[in-house]
Amino acid sequence: MPPITRRNFLADSAKASALLALGGTSVGSLLSACGTSSASSEATTLAVEIDAGQNANPFMWFANDMQSAVGVSPKIIGLPFVGQYEKIVSEMITRSNVYDVLVFPPFFVGDFVAKGFLHKLTDFGSESDFKLDDVLPVYRDVYLKRNGNLYAAAYDGDQLQIAYRKDMFDKAGITKAPTTWDEFVATAQALHQPPTQYGNAFYGQRGFCYGWFINIFAANGGKWFSSDMTPGIAGDAGVKALETLIKLKRYAPPNILQIGYPELNEAYLNGSTAMVVQWNDLALKAEDSTKSKSVGMNGYAPSPVANYMPYSRVMAISAYTSNPHNSYKLIQYMNRSEVSIKDVYDPNCGEDPFRTSHFDTSAVKDHTGKPTMSAAAATTYVSANKGGLAIGYPELSIPGAPRYIDILDLKVNEALSGGSTAAQALKSASDEWNSITTALDKNAQVKAYADWVDSFHKAGINY
Amino acid sequence: MAAVVGRRRASGGGRRFALLTVAPATLLLVGISIFPLLWALRLSFMQDSLLSVATPHFIGVDNYAHLFHDPLFWSSLGVTAVFAVSVITIQLVAGLAIALALDRLPRYQQVIATILLIPSILSPSVVSFQWRQLFDYYSGPLNYFLGLLHLPLQGWTASARGALPALVLVDFWEWTPFMVLLMFAGIKSLPRSVFEAARIDGSSGWQVTIFQTIPLLRRVIAIAVILRLIGAFKIFDIIYSLTAGGPGTSTESLAFYTYVQGFRYFDLGYSTAMAFVTLILITVLARLILGFMERPIGRSVA
Repeated sequence: MPPITRRNFLADSAKASALLALGGTSVGSLLSACGTSSASSEATTLAVEIDAGQNANPFMWFANDMQSAVGVSPKIIGLPFVGQYEKIVSEMITRSNVYDVLVFPPFFVGDFVAKGFLHKLTDFGSESDFKLDDVLPVYRDVYLKRNGNLYAAAYDGDQLQIAYRKDMFDKAGITKAPTTWDEFVATAQALHQPPTQYGNAFYGQRGFCYGWFINIFAANGGKWFSSDMTPGIAGDAGVKALETLIKLKRYAPPNILQIGYPELNEAYLNGSTAMVVQWNDLALKAEDSTKSKSVGMNGYAPSPVANYMPYSRVMAISAYTSNPHNSYKLIQYMNRSEVSIKDVYDPNCGEDPFRTSHFDTSAVKDHTGKPTMSAAAATTYVSANKGGLAIGYPELSIPGAPRYIDILDLKVNEALSGGSTAAQALKSASDEWNSITTALDKNAQVKAYADWVDSFHKAGINY
Repeated sequence: MAAVVGRRRASGGGRRFALLTVAPATLLLVGISIFPLLWALRLSFMQDSLLSVATPHFIGVDNYAHLFHDPLFWSSLGVTAVFAVSVITIQLVAGLAIALALDRLPRYQQVIATILLIPSILSPSVVSFQWRQLFDYYSGPLNYFLGLLHLPLQGWTASARGALPALVLVDFWEWTPFMVLLMFAGIKSLPRSVFEAARIDGSSGWQVTIFQTIPLLRRVIAIAVILRLIGAFKIFDIIYSLTAGGPGTSTESLAFYTYVQGFRYFDLGYSTAMAFVTLILITVLARLILGFMERPIGRSVA
């Protein structure tokens, strides 16, 4: 008899539950065997886990249409943006069926696939249901698949982007958005007139500030790891990048370390900041007169040299759902190009283009069909999105990615707050990364990283 | 006679009856309190990470040894100590002062005491949200008033030096009323004759407070300090919502760091070891405080 451990206990409980459930579902199984769709025995209202707030809105906007079209509807379970990973893992580790559909950033995919938390989408249909040819290669090949299997469908295609005030640039005699980080620093310095106008702002709060570091690190030619999993962050590219970010703090609002996603939007939309690097959905808010003081005065451009693509969102089926077929229907519906194009340009959510067909300037409208920006602004915005993707730098999504990222974020934040120098912070993060790699099995990590890098090359990304 | 009968009962069938009577409560206690505690203690000696490929295994005191070499553990302990000393000192002094003032009010004591309860019964997430608004750099009322006074605006939780005092301020707002109520209840329970005698002997109000009221309140003060000490060591919610432990690790408390290890990194063995060290620290400190408060303290209280 094996020893009673927590894992054995959980596994045995799950087997017992499965046996019990077998009694309840045996009729369904028989019907299924006779050719009746097993989806018919599943619930039609499905629990959709997603970070709470604006990103859940599209599910609600299209709930009625979804019900008419595919016979299912969503019940939103909102989780905090920072803390989403631990909440999902806590549920999944106990094999809870509380979620049917999981919406999460692709950097969780590596861990979730490795731990068996996700169903393959192709278990319930075909890849062709998702029109993958129309999904931009970076999202399709890097974010949705593992080991050649499709585990997720795209919901949101995030990237960082420069939003800047053309009027403030004109006044300072600056004619174009910066194309190098040295130019970016010089521009921020030239535009810095506190306390009425700040030169730039970025995500300085603990939780995601690492992304703004990686954006510069990528431009300096940095790589997450070498092929033998030696961390790349503590090299020259990393130290120089963090020093640049620390320098930019001088030309930022004094509360820069308090600035997260909503605060960064606010810093730009309230007219006090001349230039920000922010997720690309800021543009939609900046052109909305109910949210912005700068409608018609904004310019948009990709980040200098390389463009980090942090976060994004994908939809996947929980391995422990009782309703996998219907979950598939919900995901497939929300992923449709004709549905998703209605939300990726709506200022009341945070979703961004992830399909080639989304890059249509005439489609820059909210979900009701109302244009969300002028034709000229739409052209600039779509062009900045395309330009950013051309120099895109993907987010780490190998097993353990959330942990690598969390410790990097902590150390970047420590350096930003003056607790350590850039070199010290990155050396410390690098040491921690080595410990994580060892704990997760170095050989397995080397292989996972190589597969991941290979997926870039297939997607045409120069890494 | 009754005692004899009682003793006889206890030595016979009565003992079985007594055991049967206490058995359900004992089983419940063992089941929901002692067993999980022992299970957790066992876990603290294991290498057990839910996201690791390695099978959980016994590693002796390695988790505890690692703690002593973990700079983040020491910095979180430092943050917790500074936070605990700050909030307990400020809340004790303010709580006692307000309770004494409240005691001297001729009317409305109950009404005020009820109103004072409000911050303490609010959900910590609501408290955090409300303070997040108050601290907001652009639209928060605190900066609005600073602006009116032509003072520089503050990023209240935006600097490593300012964030912890901001959390102390939030905790002060939330828990000082609780301290006031404890002190107020303590003052109300004191024998009035002692104060009257002191006044007849010519003591001033200040002398009565210092030499009579506070010494007589020492047990209440000890309980209040221990309760707030436990609260301060467990501080997590407002940190999670307001600063997420940042900037850097300037507000990363022991409880927050334990959470990060346990629920973000899923390193169950290590985080449990940390929780046990916290438990030992609180127990030792509580024992010291109780011992200190129970020492005889001079003639005036005799």
